[in-house]
Amino acid sequence: MGAHIDAAAALTSHGRRRPNARRLADAAARACLARVGREAGDIDMLINAGVYREDHLGEPALAALVQEDIGANLGQPPVGGHGTFSFDLANGTCGVIGALKVQAGLLRSGVIKLGLTVASDVDPGPSESRSTPIQPIGGAVLLSWDDSIAGFTDFYSETFPEYAGMLVSGLMWRPRRGLRVSPGAAGESRLVIREQPGYLARCVDCAEEATRRFLARLGMDIADIDLLVPAPAAPEFLDALRVRLGVPGDRVSFTGEDMAGAYTAATIAALEVATKSGRLAEARNTLLLAVGAGITVALALYRQAPLPAGQLPDLALRQEGALE
Amino acid sequence: MADNHASRAEHWTVLESPDSDAAWGCRVDSVGVKVPAGTLTTRELLGRTKHHTRIQLERLTGIHERHVVGPGENSFTLATGAARDCLAHSEHRAADIEVLISCSITRSRGGMSQSFEPPLSLYVKQAIGATQAVNFDLSNACAGMLTGVFLLQDLIARGEIKCGMVVSGEYISQLGSNAAKQIRSLFSKQLASLTLGDAGAAVILERAPEGAAGIDVIGFTTLAEHSRLCLAFPSTVGPGAQMYTKSRTMQKVAIEDIVPLLAEVLGQAGIDLDDIEYLIPHQTSARAIRKGTAEFARRLGAKPKHVVVNIEENGNTASTTLFVALHKYLEEGRMHKGDRVMLLSIASGIEIGIAILTVDSQVDRYGRTH
Repeated sequence: MGAHIDAAAALTSHGRRRPNARRLADAAARACLARVGREAGDIDMLINAGVYREDHLGEPALAALVQEDIGANLGQPPVGGHGTFSFDLANGTCGVIGALKVQAGLLRSGVIKLGLTVASDVDPGPSESRSTPIQPIGGAVLLSWDDSIAGFTDFYSETFPEYAGMLVSGLMWRPRRGLRVSPGAAGESRLVIREQPGYLARCVDCAEEATRRFLARLGMDIADIDLLVPAPAAPEFLDALRVRLGVPGDRVSFTGEDMAGAYTAATIAALEVATKSGRLAEARNTLLLAVGAGITVALALYRQAPLPAGQLPDLALRQEGALE
Repeated sequence: MADNHASRAEHWTVLESPDSDAAWGCRVDSVGVKVPAGTLTTRELLGRTKHHTRIQLERLTGIHERHVVGPGENSFTLATGAARDCLAHSEHRAADIEVLISCSITRSRGGMSQSFEPPLSLYVKQAIGATQAVNFDLSNACAGMLTGVFLLQDLIARGEIKCGMVVSGEYISQLGSNAAKQIRSLFSKQLASLTLGDAGAAVILERAPEGAAGIDVIGFTTLAEHSRLCLAFPSTVGPGAQMYTKSRTMQKVAIEDIVPLLAEVLGQAGIDLDDIEYLIPHQTSARAIRKGTAEFARRLGAKPKHVVVNIEENGNTASTTLFVALHKYLEEGRMHKGDRVMLLSIASGIEIGIAILTVDSQVDRYGRTH
């Protein structure tokens, strides 16, 4: 028994001129629910793990707006009724695995029965951008409890703060200059994304190191992994990592060209390919791997086979201090 | 374990309680704060408004002054200061923290008015030496810290970790400065921005020893039908954000809808509202708090023994209000072992979070610094 991936859906903005992160998340959430015939009202917990939005909304959590848009348990709370709890979790590309971990834990406790994670980003035209532009892509993944499979058994995360400066982003105030600057438009907060050369190469190093450590702790070998669900999907990262780890191409969930440039939704895009092709259901051991700013590496092991009777998934959260 | 899933009663709130068959109890080990030294009185703030207004903000909200950051201070420094203060009141060392969650709305650091990546939690854990901790940021408006507590409580109750920290640094007074440039009257949707003050807060949660008191129940829900009543995004009049709030509607909706949620959470804990020694609600305005608690008392037929209002000297410090108030009451020695405390988050979303905890030996570690 374990936390089971019911469905995953990822989509693009279909070339819209002004893509909108919230609408992308809404559409992905609806597509994901439709895929398994579930209602929005069934969702107990909705986590948004997206980072970049066109309006840089600070509050409320974007997840609350998505909850309203998809109509998940609106209206007054009657005692004994059923509600939805929404919030945002931010950890760049690793945020989706973090959200899945939160929900896998709460499913195991029986606190929730159905969890939805959404992630979407748009590129609001940063003044200093990264090597690969962010494409407007949204994703959603549904998690529930299933008695017949092991599901998510182990999560692992590791940070390499010595490389924290290699990808830094945020808003910076830029005052407008000139004689006719009105006080109401004295300037603007511009998104700045600074990526140093060699960032993705360093991501490969960190991902390899963390993956080897994770598998060693589990007493597993890379050959035991039947399917790798990676993020990001950029070839300069993924091809190098595959070679370093020795994962054959037929064991990787590659996303199509339409999903190139997916940011926080990259994990979901790769999961969608794996669920649609049926490979997630076939693979005994699936490794979810995400690497992002920090440098942070997040890993999760998803097992199809039921655990031996009486054995509960460990779900232990482990981390090794990179500076130790 | 799976049997729990089938048998669990339906709740409106997503609810964690001893009824969840948790392996372990979870309790608050220590609370820390970092309040910047600078202050700004309501009179001074209103003296800075661009347009002449006759808003009697102090009379309306009960806020006399708020603390504001000085040069070199920002969300990150406030969070780090609070985390250090929290460790100073704890028997845990930074190396014991297994998970660290940063929960602020504002995330200013260095030259960035709002930093996105890497998450602020990474910088905080490095600064305090909790390098081994798993970290992530969480954003849930003014309910951020209590949401973090909700997540840590589950990890501790399941035995996955023994110790974790929730931290938040709010440099949010910029919203007040931005609003002051635009507000024309009492009916401005930016009025609530004038109530904001800066503060950092941190809380360490730990596995409770066998039989010890701790968090009795914690429930959360999002009344998303009202998700657009309070919105904040970057300003064009100055650095930081500007916030638009339909305060009256929000207050009305919140009071109306909280009552059944309170009843649900109290029912889960098996107690009544008058068993609560201290109710610590989110600090928005003294008048709103008084009105709200009077309504709770009328509808639930009971009232808590004390309602904590510390807005006079701090203003609304966003996601940190509950823990700034809890810290103050611990420091002043007002809380005693066995006291039941209710933390009530009301935030944009509308997020409603309710936690009931029983104060234990942590009271012994406070109040000696004075």
